[in-house]
Amino acid sequence: MSFFRITLHRSFIGMPQRTRDVLSALGLHRRGQIVFQTVSAQSAGMIMKVKELVRVEEVDRALTKREVQDSRRPDKGFWLESRVGALNGGAKAKATGEGEEEVRL
Amino acid sequence: MFGPFRITSSLSGGLLWKIPWRMSPMQKLRQRRRLRAVDQVVETVAKALAKKGETLKSLDRWKEEMPTEAQMLPRDKYSMFDRKAKKYRKGIHKLPKWTRVSQRVNPPGY
Repeated sequence: MSFFRITLHRSFIGMPQRTRDVLSALGLHRRGQIVFQTVSAQSAGMIMKVKELVRVEEVDRALTKREVQDSRRPDKGFWLESRVGALNGGAKAKATGEGEEEVRL
Repeated sequence: MFGPFRITSSLSGGLLWKIPWRMSPMQKLRQRRRLRAVDQVVETVAKALAKKGETLKSLDRWKEEMPTEAQMLPRDKYSMFDRKAKKYRKGIHKLPKWTRVSQRVNPPGY
């Protein structure tokens, strides 16, 4: 099963009500939003109505909202080494009661 | 003619918006990119539907009637028919919402 991955690339401000209705039927409410629609004549017809405003790709799997968010999240710039305490002197860390996490930049 | 109280069209009439007569090379570049982006969308949709063996009337009509960016003449990319304009042509950037609407074909002979 394949899907259309539709991104609202251009704003719908000032566009006719019909166009806005088509976008909301596709599930697009803000610029840059990504939605997935199954490949069918119905969804294709809606895309054709708003082809100037969207970017479309064909993909095999629809991502969930969470997966889309994760894919768009920028790199934090640091990561946590969670096992650092256990590696060098676990006893000392336990004695001082410090957390076993270290921030690496 | 000079000085602080000179009469200009914006002073006497209030709001004045001017649209240049011709498009800049960068505007034309972006226009070509937008045309290509729309072609890309149509292509993707057509390919996906062909794989499923479905047809779509609006898609067939578009493919039949509308030229792609490569097939278009520069004349049609950057200008459009206007019955009130000199030589019946005006810049496509005078069309309202011109960056978000498709205007590709013009009356034959103009």
